[in-house]
Amino acid sequence: MSATPSPRPPGFSRRTLLAASAAGLALLAAGCSSPPADERETVTTEQADELATQVAVQEALVAAFASAGAADPALAAQVTELAAQADAQLTRLRAASPGGSAPVSSPVAGAPAGPDARVWLRGQVAAAATSHATASVDQSGARAALLGSIAAGLRGQDGRLA
Amino acid sequence: MADDNKGPGALDESTENAALGDALAAEHAAVWGYGVVGAALGGDARQQAAAAESAHRDVRDQVSALLAGRKADVVDAKGAYALPFPVLSAVDAAALGAVLEDGVAAAWVRVLDQAAERSTRELAVGVLSAAEVRAVGWRAAAGRTPITLAFPGLPGQ
Repeated sequence: MSATPSPRPPGFSRRTLLAASAAGLALLAAGCSSPPADERETVTTEQADELATQVAVQEALVAAFASAGAADPALAAQVTELAAQADAQLTRLRAASPGGSAPVSSPVAGAPAGPDARVWLRGQVAAAATSHATASVDQSGARAALLGSIAAGLRGQDGRLA
Repeated sequence: MADDNKGPGALDESTENAALGDALAAEHAAVWGYGVVGAALGGDARQQAAAAESAHRDVRDQVSALLAGRKADVVDAKGAYALPFPVLSAVDAAALGAVLEDGVAAAWVRVLDQAAERSTRELAVGVLSAAEVRAVGWRAAAGRTPITLAFPGLPGQ
């Protein structure tokens, strides 16, 4: 996994903004003049363990989507896309994890049946977002970028579930 | 204190400042762009655009002060920016709002990637999350799918 953006296109000015079309701002930020993350980063044991913890957090969130969907089939249909995104995030986190030891986590309690499942799921999403955001601050480089991006994505999901 | 991250291309204040400079440029563009967004909207949506513009002004000022305090380059705003597409309707305006937030998100993910200071990562993850929350609203208003993103700001989104 590499969350490090791809190299800046030749001649692309850092100060060229909207003029570069809809993708302009993304390209601006995608500029990269440093080596890929894998070449420049060392991972401390503490960071590895913390990343493993975040994998466990995301696993719990994926399980929460399944639990909420089982408790409220109508909700399951509404959150298919969100659940798929949570799964994609888990895949990427696993790929980024150097294999630290995660603490043994308690199984997530099941979602309440009916309409309360949505509120419960939203709480799970928000908690995971906070956890990833906090962890991103203690990481660096591509791992910080990945965790921060996932946290932001889950904040967006939280808003969507409101 | 900067994190201890040695080796080729190690993160330091210069990598962080460069990324913050790009983020500042993106914030300048967002502030300008929201003027266009707001002008094409009415009612609550215009208020939403005004709130977003205000949020970007605050971040812009914060980053400007941070860079100036370090005696690093502080990127100025341009007088105007070319729009990525004509903004002729409320849907266009919402789409532009999403583009602005996506661009800002990419810049702040870059800051996370390049930052040496913990405090800078704290700033970055907060700004990035706020940008994605606003982007979700604009994507929904513009009828874009998916409305949420798994990896805001990362390439390939």
